[in-house]
Amino acid sequence: MDRSRPLKLWLAGVLFLGIMLLSSITFAQEEVASAIRRYKAYEASTGYYEEYEVRPRHQRPLIGVPNIREGIFPYSPTIAKVRSRTHLADSHQGIRFYAGRQCGDCHPAAALDIHTTRANLTCRQCHGDEPIASINFYWSPLNPIRRHAYVCAKCHEGANASYAAYVVHAPNPALAKTFDEFPVLAWAFWIMVVIAVGTFVLFLPHTILWGVRELFVKKKTKEKKTIEPDSKNAD
Amino acid sequence: MNPTVKTRIKRFTPLQRIFHLFLMLTFLIQGATGLARMFIETSWGKNLSYVFGGYEAARSIHIYVGIIMLCGLAIHIIYLLFKVNWRNFPSSLYGPDSLLFSPKDVKDFFQHVAWFFGIKKAPHFDRWGYWEKFDYWAVFWGMIILGGTGLLLTWQLAASRIMPGWGLNVALWIHRIEAILAMAHVFLIHFFVGHLRRQNFPMDRAMFEGSVNLDDARHERPAWIARLEQSGELDGVLVSEAMTAQRVTYYVIGFAAVAVGLYLLIGALINVRYISW
Repeated sequence: MDRSRPLKLWLAGVLFLGIMLLSSITFAQEEVASAIRRYKAYEASTGYYEEYEVRPRHQRPLIGVPNIREGIFPYSPTIAKVRSRTHLADSHQGIRFYAGRQCGDCHPAAALDIHTTRANLTCRQCHGDEPIASINFYWSPLNPIRRHAYVCAKCHEGANASYAAYVVHAPNPALAKTFDEFPVLAWAFWIMVVIAVGTFVLFLPHTILWGVRELFVKKKTKEKKTIEPDSKNAD
Repeated sequence: MNPTVKTRIKRFTPLQRIFHLFLMLTFLIQGATGLARMFIETSWGKNLSYVFGGYEAARSIHIYVGIIMLCGLAIHIIYLLFKVNWRNFPSSLYGPDSLLFSPKDVKDFFQHVAWFFGIKKAPHFDRWGYWEKFDYWAVFWGMIILGGTGLLLTWQLAASRIMPGWGLNVALWIHRIEAILAMAHVFLIHFFVGHLRRQNFPMDRAMFEGSVNLDDARHERPAWIARLEQSGELDGVLVSEAMTAQRVTYYVIGFAAVAVGLYLLIGALINVRYISW
């Protein structure tokens, strides 16, 4: 009997377990690219899949969320508003004319954060190359479990998971919906605005009226030094 | 003018004037560097940042000067602790020379507003008017809010160990709005009161020279002068006018500050629609 056979069997077993337990990014993305295996992949990984993914292939262009449908051809840039693509390996999978589009075409607000406008970062410096995974896709570099190390730390050395909770694409704090999306930010913003506006509502008219009123005060001359305060204030 | 004639009444000590000068200089630097960064998308903001060496250098200066301001605040608090009359504490805090608000300030405010409309006589202000107390405490609260959020934003990594990272989003907005409030208040209201009011036109030198004209004080703060006359302290606080060269220096500093403030205010207002928040 071959004496090395147990060792080979042991190694094969380890390899088999490795293949079973440790998938790779490439492997996962290939699954998504396959119309045959993609559903199982999601059920095995996150249990999450979109409605269109469990429907026959010919219905795929009509993707949407239940009870929400926009237009005859909802598979358009505007449908981004009603799609939930938060766990996809290729978050843009299936979007028409995708190759000819730029990020800002469909995500105009996301291109206005201070990382982009001030630090001159491009989208791909954080979101990576194609296919761009959803941030909650397990293997995405932007998944919260590894975002701090894979993305933030590229510029912010020593970034930790808490640090990565900074919301790069923060919602506009002035909008009503921000009370749902980021309530602490919305409350802080409006409390500060009330303080600032309140200060000016009080002191701007006060200052203007004061300035105007003093125009009607008889300005004393240097010679008139002994006038009583009451008589001066009376004017 | 005879420099030996004592026509002015002492209002601020040299140390208090230094505090104001320090605050004036650091505040303008913080305003300029902060706006340079906020408006970096515009040519106005870029040009402003070049004064300080560019976008990154403006941030460094903003941080260092901010820390210096906080040190100044700490020194000022220590100074206050020495100035408090501990023997009569806490009643000494509510005396007429105190900057703490009192019920008289509320009464003065409404009477003053009524005077604007000619309904009542002008209130008899004591040493500090209610608007001066507001200015003083606004700086206090402003420095604590701006300094606190500024420290969080400066040491973001350390801050994220004691709070979630999204707290930095909140800190950034609080910092912004408080800074806008502070700058707009100083450049519009404080400058107007200090320069454009007929009583003070073209500039109230009190904070630089340390004294105000006795007649003006008698007119605007009769309660203060009456109190000093009654206690016999008035003669002891009378001082002569500063020399011409000193007065020119005060005007140059004061008008330079106004020019910088108005440049920042007008530039920001013109360019505000071109920046992303």
